[in-house]
Amino acid sequence: MSEHGHEESSFVARQFAVAEFPSPQTLLDGTTKMREAGYKNLDTHTPFPIHGLEEALGLKRPKIPLIVLCGAIAGACIAYAMIYFCNVFDWPLNIGNRPPHGPPANIPITFELAVLLGGGSAFMGFFALAKLPQPYHPIFESEDFQRASIDAFFLSVELPPGTDMDRTLADIRASGALSAEIVEESER
Amino acid sequence: MAAPQLDARDPLEPQPLIEGQHTDKTINDSLLAHVWRGAGKGWWACFAVALSLLGMLVIAISWTLYKGIGVWGNNIPVGWAFGIINFVWWIGIGHAGTLISAILLLFQQKWRTSINRFAEAMTLFAVICALLFPLLHTGRPWFAIYWLMPYPSTNGIWPQFKSPLTWDVFAVTTYFTISLLFWFLGLVPDLAALRDSSQSKAKRLIYGMLAMGWRGSGRHWAEYKWSYVLLAGLSTPLVLSVHTIVSFDFATSVIPGWHTTIFPPYFVAGAVFSGFAMVMTWMIPARKFLGLKHVVTPKHLENMCKIMLVTGMMVSYGYLMEHFIAWYSGDPYEFAQFYYTRMRGPMAGVYWTMIFCNVVVPQIWWFKRWRHNIMVMWFASLLINVGMWCERFNIVVTSLHQDFLPSSWRNYAPTWVDITLFMGTIGLFSTLFLLFLKFVPAVAVTEVKELRHELAHDPTADPVGETH
Repeated sequence: MSEHGHEESSFVARQFAVAEFPSPQTLLDGTTKMREAGYKNLDTHTPFPIHGLEEALGLKRPKIPLIVLCGAIAGACIAYAMIYFCNVFDWPLNIGNRPPHGPPANIPITFELAVLLGGGSAFMGFFALAKLPQPYHPIFESEDFQRASIDAFFLSVELPPGTDMDRTLADIRASGALSAEIVEESER
Repeated sequence: MAAPQLDARDPLEPQPLIEGQHTDKTINDSLLAHVWRGAGKGWWACFAVALSLLGMLVIAISWTLYKGIGVWGNNIPVGWAFGIINFVWWIGIGHAGTLISAILLLFQQKWRTSINRFAEAMTLFAVICALLFPLLHTGRPWFAIYWLMPYPSTNGIWPQFKSPLTWDVFAVTTYFTISLLFWFLGLVPDLAALRDSSQSKAKRLIYGMLAMGWRGSGRHWAEYKWSYVLLAGLSTPLVLSVHTIVSFDFATSVIPGWHTTIFPPYFVAGAVFSGFAMVMTWMIPARKFLGLKHVVTPKHLENMCKIMLVTGMMVSYGYLMEHFIAWYSGDPYEFAQFYYTRMRGPMAGVYWTMIFCNVVVPQIWWFKRWRHNIMVMWFASLLINVGMWCERFNIVVTSLHQDFLPSSWRNYAPTWVDITLFMGTIGLFSTLFLLFLKFVPAVAVTEVKELRHELAHDPTADPVGETH
């Protein structure tokens, strides 16, 4: 009993302010206003990507391109090294006295593995950066939030403990939100 | 329904990409409706046919494995026949999916949005069908991994990296993997939409797990867009490389009719040609029965006709050039292959079917009235599927059965196992495709919503969605 109670007490529920905006443009404007008002940990939730969100959220350059480049280069190097090792060191075959290392014949596999690892890192890199799969997120506690994947545009703000909630909600409404509420992480 | 509306319009007025007035909600509901609706009689009827064809596949594979590949009709000199014909045919069909999803994305062709999901799914299923053939042709597929992949086995031998067949292994497995990742990445936001509009708890749970907790986060979208466009960027050279490498299987050999430098581009064009034909064959009934006419408009079908016309002309040019070089090179075997064996040999019927289906049939699409006649389009697309199969038959069997010395010529006929296996892969493809149509949105809902906003709100956007 006491151990269980101890666990419960160590849990601090994260709190989010969730607000719905009427359109993509108002969401962009509202997000910019909130960010300029000094709120941190802003995020938007929209059914489709909206042009200009990166600027509104003040995001840095995306990391994916570099990850993909590294993946592709690694793929090409692994492929070439593998063929070179097999054909030159491990089991050279003398066919018609052709050299064991034939660069033109290595191009297709080198290319394919570059694409495979480049594409694989685009996919895996995205999910790693997005920290998905993540079945539960406090924001799902909001009833209206179901529409974020259908036709609604949401802004969420993660609130550090001790934030003045009323003021936050007032600020969000002032930035153009239709509605705003506070959701709290539930303990599982 | 669509045709009379069209005729009422000014023929010079641009046609819309999304018909009617819509909101995100109506797009969402109309494009997901076919997933929530119970399977109708039509779906079950098609599924029954598909399953019985799939049964044929099971029989053919079992018999092949039980008796060995001697039950196939190919034997020296025709060492390659149905196995490789069907492999190339199916891979080619897959290529339209990648062209639509990747190349048209990079060229910012907005009309791709409504058909990309559909065509990508087709790519996946076609590649699965294609992979079956070389796997079975190894005779003992359970050993194939040791023979095909550079696996450090106790045999101590490696695949021959200088052989196009080994390149093929890498190309096709990469192609399948990347297509699958690209397809799934595009699907994630739609799975979230399915999760959030599902009515029952079980459906919500299943789609919820597949959506992996997607919450449309702006931070996610920022990386997602790059991930998506880079996968498209990688798929574009990939799709060109896959059929190029497939064509190397032939072009690097010395058989008359195979040893040509035009093969890579000619194969790629043929692949896109046949792939679009297959997309059209399925799209025309699907848009009717799934209620997708407002997003797959006559404009989409017309654009597909135009692409088939273009790629059909490229394929025709390939044929012309093959014949020209056969004459111009002065090689008697090449000349005999193209002007006697193919045109007048025992398999001339296949040759002339190919010419009719691939060269003559697409010419109807020079005329607008045929680009708007659904029935004509559908039959023409079927004929092109047949024609492209005949092309591969011509290349593989006709070239092999009469090559150099008449003493080594031998005729070829497929056995019942060959035919059953081929029909069976059509069953496999149809089964997978029907399941896809039942459980997954056939149109990329998220992208259509985005397109609608772009068209509605961006004053600089071209309302018709042509290239800028």
